[in-house]
Amino acid sequence: MMRVKMTCKEAHRVVSEGLDRDLSLFERLRLRLHLRICDACTRFNGQMALLRQAMRKLSAPDDAAGQERK
Amino acid sequence: MPDFQLGDLMSDSLHLQLNALRPALLRFALLQLRNDAVAEDVVQDTLIAVLEKPDRFAGQSSLRTYVTGIMKHKIVDVLRASKRVVQFEPLEGESDDDFIDALFKADGHTQDMPRAWGDPDATLEQKDFFRVMEICLEKLPAQTARVFMMREWLELETEEICKETGVSTSNLWVILYRARLRLRECLDLNWFGKQEAA
Repeated sequence: MMRVKMTCKEAHRVVSEGLDRDLSLFERLRLRLHLRICDACTRFNGQMALLRQAMRKLSAPDDAAGQERK
Repeated sequence: MPDFQLGDLMSDSLHLQLNALRPALLRFALLQLRNDAVAEDVVQDTLIAVLEKPDRFAGQSSLRTYVTGIMKHKIVDVLRASKRVVQFEPLEGESDDDFIDALFKADGHTQDMPRAWGDPDATLEQKDFFRVMEICLEKLPAQTARVFMMREWLELETEEICKETGVSTSNLWVILYRARLRLRECLDLNWFGKQEAA
């Protein structure tokens, strides 16, 4: 049985994998609990979200910025 | 007669605009394909496709977005046709584990507090940020970059990337994770750290 508490090391990996696969309900719950109490992983989560957005705009940054703002 | 001249003018201006886009297109094709000749071909094919059917571009997006979209499709075609099996030797630098482990203490906590990156929307409006991002992508190990760009730039599903590269799913997750960590480190150092200092 997996512990409910996540370490930062696990949380980082799960944040990244969450961009590539559907996390299980349990993983999502564990991650959410961890992020609630961990500023470091919350920041990391935001950084990963920015990376994804930036990559999608990479080759056409000008109007991509406009498109997102609705 | 006036119509003919107008059409001519438009295609002249399209030519000019496409020419202006060419260097950028080539940079991105090269980032993904890491092969000069193949990248040149893809850009050439893309420009020809646009010029052959100029009326397809109805101005619903910017020309750059439109042309980039076409080029992405062409690149996916090339990747599908080439079926290059990606070999991940554990050493494209240090081992995966070392690189990841260095970020954490023995108890699994982060070594350092990640820097606050500020307002994401403001960041994404800065052209210079994207140039730094390109440089950081260039610095990734070639195979890592190839897979990462497939996922994040071409937006392919992981199943397809595994199919095209021969990498296992769990391996792919690790490769993508490592690429993100490297990219984050590079941007943190060369962009966000400098913004803070300025």
